[in-house]
Amino acid sequence: MKVNGQLHRLSLDVRTTVLDTLRERLGLTGTKKGCDHGQCGACTVLADGQRVLSCLTLAAAAEGKEITTIEGIAGPVGALHPMQQAFIDHDAFQCGYCTPGQIMSAIGCVREGQAGSEPAIKESMSGNLCRCAAYPKIVAAIRQASGEMRGS
Amino acid sequence: MRSFSYMRADSEAAALQQAEPSDVQFLAGGTTLVDLMKLDVLRPAQVVDITPLRRGPAGEIRADGDGLRLGALVSMAEAAAHPAVQSGYPVLADSLRLAASAQLRNMASLGGNLLQRTRCPYYRDTSWHACNKREPGSGCAALEAPNRMHAVLGTSPACIATYPGDLAVALVALDAMIDLASEGGRRSLRVADLHRPPGETPERETNLAPGEMILAIEIPAMPWARRSLFLKIRDRASYEFALASAAVALDLQDGVIRQARVALGGLATVPWRAHEAEQALEGKRPSDDVFEAAAEVALVDAQPLRGNGYKVLLGKRTIIRALRQAASMEI
Amino acid sequence: MSKAAPPPQDGMGEPVPRIDARAKVTGAALYAADFPVANAAHAVLVISNVAKGSIRGIDLFAAKATPGVLLVLTRENAADAVKRPSYFAEGGHASTKERPLSSDRIWHDGQIVAMVVADSYEIACDAASRIGVTYDETRPAGKLGGPGTETVAASAVNKKHKDPMVGDAERAYESAPFKIEVELETPTQHHNPIELFATTCLWSDGKLTIYEPSQFVYGLKHGVAEQLGIDPTDIRVVSPFVGGAFGSKGSVTPRTALVAIAARQLGRPVKLVVARDQGFTVATYRAETRHRIRLAAARNGKLLAYQHEAWELTSRIDDYLVGGTEATTRLYAVPNAATKVNIVRADRNTPGFMRSPPEVPYVYAYEAAINELAEVLGMDPVELRRVNDTHKDPITGAPFTSRSLMRCYDEAARAFGWSHRREPPGTASDGDWLIGWGCASALYPTQMSVAAARVRLVRSGAAHVEIAAHDLGTGAYTVLAQAAAEGLGLRPEAISVTLGESSLPPGPVAGGSITTASCCNVVAKACGQIREKLSRAVAQAKDGPLAGTNRRMLQFANGRIVDSRGNGEGLDQALDRLGTGAIEEYAEWIPHGAKPEGLQKLYRGSLDIVGGPMEDRVAFAFGAEFVELRINRYTREIRVPRIVGAFASGRIMNTRTAHSQYMGAMIWGIASALHEETELDERTARYVNKNLADYQVPVNADIGEVEVIMVPEVDRLVNPLGIKGIGELANVGTAAAIAEAAYRATGKRVRKLPIRIEDLL
Repeated sequence: MKVNGQLHRLSLDVRTTVLDTLRERLGLTGTKKGCDHGQCGACTVLADGQRVLSCLTLAAAAEGKEITTIEGIAGPVGALHPMQQAFIDHDAFQCGYCTPGQIMSAIGCVREGQAGSEPAIKESMSGNLCRCAAYPKIVAAIRQASGEMRGS
Repeated sequence: MRSFSYMRADSEAAALQQAEPSDVQFLAGGTTLVDLMKLDVLRPAQVVDITPLRRGPAGEIRADGDGLRLGALVSMAEAAAHPAVQSGYPVLADSLRLAASAQLRNMASLGGNLLQRTRCPYYRDTSWHACNKREPGSGCAALEAPNRMHAVLGTSPACIATYPGDLAVALVALDAMIDLASEGGRRSLRVADLHRPPGETPERETNLAPGEMILAIEIPAMPWARRSLFLKIRDRASYEFALASAAVALDLQDGVIRQARVALGGLATVPWRAHEAEQALEGKRPSDDVFEAAAEVALVDAQPLRGNGYKVLLGKRTIIRALRQAASMEI
Repeated sequence: MSKAAPPPQDGMGEPVPRIDARAKVTGAALYAADFPVANAAHAVLVISNVAKGSIRGIDLFAAKATPGVLLVLTRENAADAVKRPSYFAEGGHASTKERPLSSDRIWHDGQIVAMVVADSYEIACDAASRIGVTYDETRPAGKLGGPGTETVAASAVNKKHKDPMVGDAERAYESAPFKIEVELETPTQHHNPIELFATTCLWSDGKLTIYEPSQFVYGLKHGVAEQLGIDPTDIRVVSPFVGGAFGSKGSVTPRTALVAIAARQLGRPVKLVVARDQGFTVATYRAETRHRIRLAAARNGKLLAYQHEAWELTSRIDDYLVGGTEATTRLYAVPNAATKVNIVRADRNTPGFMRSPPEVPYVYAYEAAINELAEVLGMDPVELRRVNDTHKDPITGAPFTSRSLMRCYDEAARAFGWSHRREPPGTASDGDWLIGWGCASALYPTQMSVAAARVRLVRSGAAHVEIAAHDLGTGAYTVLAQAAAEGLGLRPEAISVTLGESSLPPGPVAGGSITTASCCNVVAKACGQIREKLSRAVAQAKDGPLAGTNRRMLQFANGRIVDSRGNGEGLDQALDRLGTGAIEEYAEWIPHGAKPEGLQKLYRGSLDIVGGPMEDRVAFAFGAEFVELRINRYTREIRVPRIVGAFASGRIMNTRTAHSQYMGAMIWGIASALHEETELDERTARYVNKNLADYQVPVNADIGEVEVIMVPEVDRLVNPLGIKGIGELANVGTAAAIAEAAYRATGKRVRKLPIRIEDLL
């Protein structure tokens, strides 16, 4: 499995999900477990560029895929991804627990061309629950970052 | 989750070669299978990962004069975004777009979506004893429980679990077929014949044979399907299973409904085609009275329980609203 | 400027971005289950699937035979392992007196009956599913008001509880010209923070480290020490980030001691991440309530009588009580009030705090009744509130420390466009969507706790704040940095803050919206001590620009100490004069109305909270919310295109984090009104929808425009900094505004929550 550009050769229990592999084997704990059943979106990562739920993806089935997590999106020397900066600018979180999943989903939303309007963003981001309810600020952050992502 | 042997099938033949077909589950997007394995509801001895078949016809969408062929491993997101789906079959595009979440639509295959399991909590949670679908003969806990989400059509004293999907409802309206493969050969089946009403045997959910695999969905050409839509009613504005849904298509010529299709979701134990409602519409001019009469006949056999009685009225209004909208579509 | 960072007005703090923001957007913030712990074993709970009865037998054969299983704790091997917890409401620490694995007795659905520990999470899950437990089951009574439950007056079981009462409400009601009598219900709700209930325990040289998300690390430390029978000084709790709590992580739940015991027994760290469905019974919840309310008024709208009897559900083991009439009786001037709260014991797990525990259900009921009264009177509901506004406590006559309710109404009404509202109900629509508007009041008691803090200033002009307080997403890290910056005349960037560690000076529980007021005041006090010492040093120095000046006239600004003419010197020079490389001050703060022994209690991990109605004064924050609903004419889906709330809550420390708190809470109000309900299977007293698909919380698409107005309010009485809490204010009353809007749209009065499609068809 390739994670954030780094190839990992792992021997795993066949039942292990990508989420538990990231967290328990690779020390990449930015990706969060919120429900473990595909209902909250906290575990969202990109697989070959597409946002997926790592809790419902068996690691075995992800063999050969390129996984990108929250730890893998910032630029060199710590420059934040435009989406990360936009989340800070708009205070698009409170507790921060769902935030890595929100940001990965938001990047997917922009890449999939779903960030053209507020209703489109809201629909496209509805798989990511935020119990602190920062939703309007998440939408504002995505609007800001989508422009910057297109520009770059 | 119980342990299992994992095999990745690089070809259709490899996928279909199984020693014990009844112990095998095919893995595509995993959004139903992995979920239910974690819940200990499904305990396959072998999981055959068929995602490599995406590279073949099972991963393709073809549109031509005969209609539309959707490979079973096409993702919901891919199908929803396809121009031929969007322009020719709005009901189909809507049913995909309104389902699940963006992540799940990226992951889930069309074939897997058709086979998704009920959301009945008594089925999904093994700590409840009574579920005829999970443990034949154990009873149905939902009959006298909070059953707001449960079905009012196609139920039996053994099971009232709602079929949760949206896509299959649209496909039933469109008279779609599925292509199947097994070690014994190939066959076709109407989507309408895929799911079985619970009757006495709710544990038998589909008419697929053990080890049989869905290869593709075939949707016949139907030019008037451009006047079609999928209306989904739910509490939340997104990311929720339907309390009621209607897939409707109208062949409206010179102000008269020549043909009509009405299928219902969220209300029934299987994707539900409302033939009587269609008959009530055909040959009529669209009006609220006609739509109300069609809605009335569609729900006439409903069997409401304490928590889901509202679904009878909601179902009728969903049909009426969908038909009004379809009749006024600019195409 | 982004909406996220409203410009501060009249003494509000700057919208400083969260100092922990970068950690949160990069995945670097470590929540409890994220701490790297070498060689951890993984635990999975097994819980009962009956609500009442006893365990007949536990078959462990298959589980123990599973390779990789290390330990299974059950009543067979752990019956005496955990000592009886002390209940927080009786001065203790725990969410329940339930003693896990201590006996065969089953008190409620989802009670812990075993814990499996294995080499991996996958093995532990598998083994747990192979444990067969059989029960002798008796028919439970789990429903509020159902047969078999036991109703007791709150005043009979809780010495602290007094039902607020004034005048003769019965007589005033009987003789009044306008009156209503209504019954209302609120549902069971679960906090469902997205972070799961995780606990990792690690023993080293007889000392225990606990990684667990906590709203009260001191309580957790002392509670676990008590349950394990060890010295609290041998326990360290680490909880720097909490992934949402809302009350669910405030007291010690039965799981923690079990994880500690397993880790000690195995000589290996043990990590438990409680599954989402198990969290519904392993921790607490908001219990369902019922209300019978009678209101009477004169023709001009003046309230004449208010009677309110309420019933709240609790468990058999613990008498949990919220008692919200303490709040409702402070909303409006009412000469005659009679209230009574009852608790109803049932075969359920013990409820607990959930965001505005008393106010959400009680103010919903009261405000819904007030809205109905406005209709009976033919009055604008805003005007009804105006004629009943008051500046003294209707029960005791004591003054409010500050109260800006009607200013909130006026500002919110203007922003909302309330003057354009349509009468009568059912007359406003837009195509197929019926439109309804409603409004209601919010209030929340200003509560404070004793607290201690340490502040260290170093030569470079950087300062560090340490306090065992908690940032649940509330912005505590940031506002405490601002408080220290203000206290020392530094920029907030110069301040670092450590929270969420039980080895730090004790901070209060992050509950009751007490953190900002309590902790900013104690930090300000510590900063004052530093200023005092440095001022004295520079003023008493033999030479230097400030030598001989009156030290009380000195200011700390821009990293310097200056006199009124701007002469001064740097903090490094001041430290030199003091003859020290750094200065560190420890402060303890006792709010008005608290007893000094409250400090000793806090050091022992017990709560001591004061506020709301006090002897000589009464402290509440107020707000007003206006909401628009759109309801489909045919299928009755309910959508919330916009909501406006105006809130006055003393001094706002940071308009950015405050805006997020208010906004999030208003959305909680929407959720409470339209989405959230834990369903109970009445036959078995078991929860049914124990997951995030079936227990509905709003998704992004559910939330329209949310406008937050912060009304400036100066309160010189409530505490030295004039801060009131804000975290819980804004989800109070929202549901009453929504219920009114639903009525206005459809003509249907729904007197229970949540309001759903089927209620309006």
